[in-house]
Amino acid sequence: MITNDTNSKTLRLITGVACAFLFLIPLLHADEIDFHRDILPILKENCFDCHGPDEQESEFRVDNRVSLLKGGDLGEPAVVPGDIAKSVLITAVSYEDSNLEMPPDDKLSEEKIALLRRWVKEGAVWPGQMQAKVEREKSDHWSFQPIARPRLPTSRSTSMARNEVDIFLQSKLDNEGISVSPEADPRTLIRRASIVLTGLPPTTEQVADFQTAYARDAEKAYAGLVDDLLESPHFGERWAQHWLDVIRWAETNGSESNMYRKNAWIYRDYVIRSFNDDKPYDRFIAEQLAGDTLGTGDATGFLVAGPHVPPATVGREPSAQRQARADRLDEVLQTIGASMMGVTIGCARCHNHKFDPISIKDYYSMTSAFQDVEFGSRIPEYSEDHPRRIGASELWPEIAKSRRLLRQTGPWVEVSLGYDELHFNPVETTAVRVEFLQPNIRVDELEFFGRKQGNQNLVDHLEPVTVRQNQNLAEANELHVLNDGEYGTMAWTCKSGKGNRERPWVEFAFDSPRSLDRMRISTNREDSLVTDYLTGLNPKGFGKTIVKVKTEDGQWQQVAHTGNIERNNHQKPERAAALAEIQKRLELLSEEGLKPSFIGRFIRPSNSYVLRRGSPENPGDEVLPAGLAELNGELGLAPDASGKKRRAAFANWLIQKENPLTARVMVNRIWHHVFGTGIVSTTSDFGKAGTSPTHPELLDWLASEFIEPTVDGRPLTSNGDEVRTESARPLSPWSTKHMIRLMVMSHAFRQQSLPRVDCLQVDAGDRLLWRYAPRRVEAEVIRDSILQASGSLDNTIGGRSYRIHNVKKRYAQWEVVDNHGPQTWRRLIYQERMRRVDDQNFTAFDFPDCGQIRARRPVSTTPLQALNLMNSEFVVEQSKLIAQRARKETGGDEALALKRCFQLLLNREPAIDEIELCTEISQQEGLDIVCRALINSNEFAFLQ
Amino acid sequence: MNHPEHLSLRGRRLLDRRNFLHTAGLSTAGLALTSLLAAEGLLGDDDVKTVSGKQPIRPSFSAENPYAPRESHFEAAAKQLLVIYCPGAVSHIDTFDYKPALTKLHGQKPPGIPAVTFEGPTGTIAKPFWEFKPRGETGKMVSDLLPNLARQVDDFCFFHALTTDTSAHPQGENFMNTGFTMEGFPSLGAWVTYALGTENQELPAFVAINDPRGMARSGKNNFGCGFLPAAFQGTDFNAKRPPSNLYRPQSYSGRTDKRTVELLQRLNAKHLQQYPGDANLAGRIASYELAGKMQTSVPEVMGISGETESTLQSYGVDSGSDLKQEYAKNCILARRLIEQGVRVVQLFNGSDPAGGNGITNWDSHANIAQTHALQAEIMDQPTAALIADLKQRGLLEHTLVVWATEFGRMPFLQANGTGRDHNPDAFTCFLTGAGVKPGFSHGESDQFGFKAAVDTTSVYDFNATLLHLMGLDHERLTYYHNGLERRLTNVHGHVVKEVLA
Repeated sequence: MITNDTNSKTLRLITGVACAFLFLIPLLHADEIDFHRDILPILKENCFDCHGPDEQESEFRVDNRVSLLKGGDLGEPAVVPGDIAKSVLITAVSYEDSNLEMPPDDKLSEEKIALLRRWVKEGAVWPGQMQAKVEREKSDHWSFQPIARPRLPTSRSTSMARNEVDIFLQSKLDNEGISVSPEADPRTLIRRASIVLTGLPPTTEQVADFQTAYARDAEKAYAGLVDDLLESPHFGERWAQHWLDVIRWAETNGSESNMYRKNAWIYRDYVIRSFNDDKPYDRFIAEQLAGDTLGTGDATGFLVAGPHVPPATVGREPSAQRQARADRLDEVLQTIGASMMGVTIGCARCHNHKFDPISIKDYYSMTSAFQDVEFGSRIPEYSEDHPRRIGASELWPEIAKSRRLLRQTGPWVEVSLGYDELHFNPVETTAVRVEFLQPNIRVDELEFFGRKQGNQNLVDHLEPVTVRQNQNLAEANELHVLNDGEYGTMAWTCKSGKGNRERPWVEFAFDSPRSLDRMRISTNREDSLVTDYLTGLNPKGFGKTIVKVKTEDGQWQQVAHTGNIERNNHQKPERAAALAEIQKRLELLSEEGLKPSFIGRFIRPSNSYVLRRGSPENPGDEVLPAGLAELNGELGLAPDASGKKRRAAFANWLIQKENPLTARVMVNRIWHHVFGTGIVSTTSDFGKAGTSPTHPELLDWLASEFIEPTVDGRPLTSNGDEVRTESARPLSPWSTKHMIRLMVMSHAFRQQSLPRVDCLQVDAGDRLLWRYAPRRVEAEVIRDSILQASGSLDNTIGGRSYRIHNVKKRYAQWEVVDNHGPQTWRRLIYQERMRRVDDQNFTAFDFPDCGQIRARRPVSTTPLQALNLMNSEFVVEQSKLIAQRARKETGGDEALALKRCFQLLLNREPAIDEIELCTEISQQEGLDIVCRALINSNEFAFLQ
Repeated sequence: MNHPEHLSLRGRRLLDRRNFLHTAGLSTAGLALTSLLAAEGLLGDDDVKTVSGKQPIRPSFSAENPYAPRESHFEAAAKQLLVIYCPGAVSHIDTFDYKPALTKLHGQKPPGIPAVTFEGPTGTIAKPFWEFKPRGETGKMVSDLLPNLARQVDDFCFFHALTTDTSAHPQGENFMNTGFTMEGFPSLGAWVTYALGTENQELPAFVAINDPRGMARSGKNNFGCGFLPAAFQGTDFNAKRPPSNLYRPQSYSGRTDKRTVELLQRLNAKHLQQYPGDANLAGRIASYELAGKMQTSVPEVMGISGETESTLQSYGVDSGSDLKQEYAKNCILARRLIEQGVRVVQLFNGSDPAGGNGITNWDSHANIAQTHALQAEIMDQPTAALIADLKQRGLLEHTLVVWATEFGRMPFLQANGTGRDHNPDAFTCFLTGAGVKPGFSHGESDQFGFKAAVDTTSVYDFNATLLHLMGLDHERLTYYHNGLERRLTNVHGHVVKEVLA
């Protein structure tokens, strides 16, 4: 046996010392370790109870060598032969980490620990097991298996089958001895289809037209209705709402101050547009992960949809800062995992996933793919033909013209949103120095740029640059944050001190000459770029500055002095005019053009490590960007690959046809929103802890049809079993609308919602879809329907969110100011979506608080919902408006007006027995009171 | 037909359903329930996977009445829960955790003090700002800052070695009140309501009495339902402000309201005929009935005019600052709610910084002598009176009272300062009432109160203990959300058996 001499000497010494104290123990184990004599008994006596043949707590066993090499749930090898530091077994028995002390009750004797250490050090020899290797076991869980298009069931009663969807469903119903329900009446059909597809009920006229057409040719009328609804611009609003729920997208941060995210809504509009345009789902994924590379920069709002804790509110301890960064990346991963992958990736943050084939290494490899993502704001990248891009492209040449003019007469300062930018003639230098004229300063970030490198900060902390500051001040704090790439309240602050004539300065020395022509400086850039509706935005705590560069002979030469610039502008009116032109255009750019928006910002990716037990203070092996190992997630990227490349590669892995999760998860999600419950009811968890599909073949058929469409969703021929070959419309892969059309064209979607005793007894939860079970509609549908009924709904698609809250102080809660006035009469998807803030109207209807993933909204009933819908100013006013409208449209005939109210709110006419009471109440209390009751009725609130 | 009382709450007055079911040929009144259970069964597989390996106990509540009282997992020491929450972090070493070493080392900077804590550089050790004296029969050392609470220490059970995972207030509030530092998890009150429903069907099951100055920094998180159904969130009102939209609009008369309800009932009854036994529809009908009852019962419980002069005086309703008077009224409201059988009451003593004039919560980075004194003036007398009142009325026999804050404060000052920074490694909370060992202190911090030293208690342990006292196994009270059977205590927590009576 080869041993390291020095170490065996040390070991002998330790053993010797131990023996000196416990001299009962004879001098055994002199040199050679005998596994069966020295090691196995320790393991057997102390570990086997929980980690042996009978029990494997934490999926860990110590009764064979491979299991030790593999380790347990922690995702780290328990034994790395020859490497004590990396062997968790040793860490645990030595009680080095208070969270992992084994055996838990009694620490092993020092002698036994020494033996184990020595055994590991010497190669962890386990006679007879040295050949066995750790091999990755493939998961046998259904969702990780490849998708294969199943054949249509053959034994079936197909009389009621409209398309393939029904064939699968009805064959299962047949097996249970129950059957589908008859088709619903046309009024129910149009109401159901309209709400499911657009979130809005039909208008009275639409109902009447449909009923007429339906009487003429039911099939054609219905197909036409579905086509119209899919083409409605409100389709995208409805389906965007579902997507935004899953990723808990909101326009505030959550956490301290819950600040508003400036222009985050451009992502909401992107999602609406994508659904309206039927953007292929694979493209939709790619854009949201790497839209900056695809001309859809607004799409990356996806990555920062979740809540986050800004660095400024975490505290000053570096460990807290690291933890907060890890937490932010975790939010990114949860968003991707829940929405696109259908796995609970977050479960693998501290240890291997308990149920699914996701290792802790997978988790951190995924963080590596998104290592360049940070919560914050940037100007979105748009393709050449984007309207905003066109607007901007007209503005920039004008700005350049004014700049040329200014350049001839010296440096100048442009004031942009959040920062000042000092321009000077390009100069080549090895060091640059900024001197301040006022005694106290506060700067969150200082950047220098050169022409060649565009927007790359040449004094960033990752550049080869040395930073120095004036030491002769009373206070000079946190110099390192000056160039750390983080904007916000963490700032470099200096105070000269009373009577001190010294002023703050900072110096950046390069390793080789750089060409510079611009400096950007700010006090709290994050504030004005990132947030809005806050009092006291955009402070400037730095005053006048002088910029000097080092000449070849080591002298400091002044290149700009902002005080002189002001004088210069004052003396030369043509300069002032040119500058005014620039400012005007910059402002135009920031509102109309490409504006800084909270869609995430990108930082230089740093190296990624497995954070052992989830702690940033405990980095383990380095990892490369990758998807899940179980699904061949290798991305083939170099450790220094750019952030863009990493995210794009990850997206490509996700949208490969072979990825078994992507298509299954999305078609199931669509199914969930069409039928109320997914084929897999846990729509964001396709793992072992989730539910099994009720119709696995149907799910796979839909998933294959999503990837490679073959049918166009038109009804089957009358005998029902002939799959059509020719297609009326071109079929495109990954088409969301194609999937939705297949589902809503089915008989399953069109059937009645009424209960049937025989079926309830077999399948009370309607998992087999023997009816279209009634369910309460979401907050959005209730509010939007009311506004539509009163005729006050502003139908504009997209744009800045309407506000219901105040402009607040930084440390304060948002307060509802106006949640009912005319400026709020847009669809609820356009209400500013605030984390954990109650709008005092519709939040009570299980509206998500946007703190956690919400793959399905719970539906619950509370008295607060009743109070809001009975007594809120919104309902009181809208009831009046509906009554007014009804009167106006019926020319003063009270009976017709009453009828009209029913049509506006319920899409039906009042029944005879309803007319009597309603008329009485209308006469005594007013027609608006009838409307108030209708708004509160179950019929109004339930989709049926 | 003579229904048991709770049936009328379910809206059955509208519809004699049993009769109806018969006529419709549905002989099994249990159909509704079957349908519900099936609906609940959608969540997760039958073979439920939990991290602890224990089989979850998912409360089976019906959509018809989500608030119906439910059995606890085992015999409960406490049936009701009152949490008095002090946002901003109360200084343990200036109140309940006596550290004579601080006086000895006052003004010094012994080794081991970190250079930087949450808000910045550190200064020197500061002795307690108030004198400590032995109190009660147990002789427990408590400072003069809280003279009224000090008198009751023989009834209190202190946790002196609590530790938390964060130094930031909102995350700290989240952690104490929801068991997670992150956003979006259900609050303790929501978990308890979800598990147990409530006894009083005419008041909300869970009431959050926010500070007169406004909500604490985590806002609604502290009493929200997170991903649990909205039915289990805390209803937000206090002595001065009723729940929003409680009252009928001013433009309507009482008769208008009555007629609206009459029409609504008619419409809903007719609609329900098509869907016999549909619990969701029946539940919504019942919710209007409960809302109607709340319109009477909430103003009733908010009204303190019937309280005796001596009661009002003992709470301090007429003495001290305006804020104290308002808080005192909130304390009376808390007692009245507990008296009425409300399952969970959460009472706040502090708000987000912008909510008041000057001092808004216990945060004391500067001039702690003044800020803590102002806040204590508001909190001490009314809180002590509330606990004494509950005791005197026999309510403590089945009510668990929790006094809590999100972390402690440092034994040293901030550099060149007059305040103490956040201390996540040692802080004090106390319990009293049902099931709790009185006159007891569990755990110890080190000689400076800097770090927990003996019997360290995590927030998970603390919350596990609270659930245990409510008769709930923190490892089995779960709700399936996004891939996991979620718990208040995540995958951690041990019940602190030592504090159980």
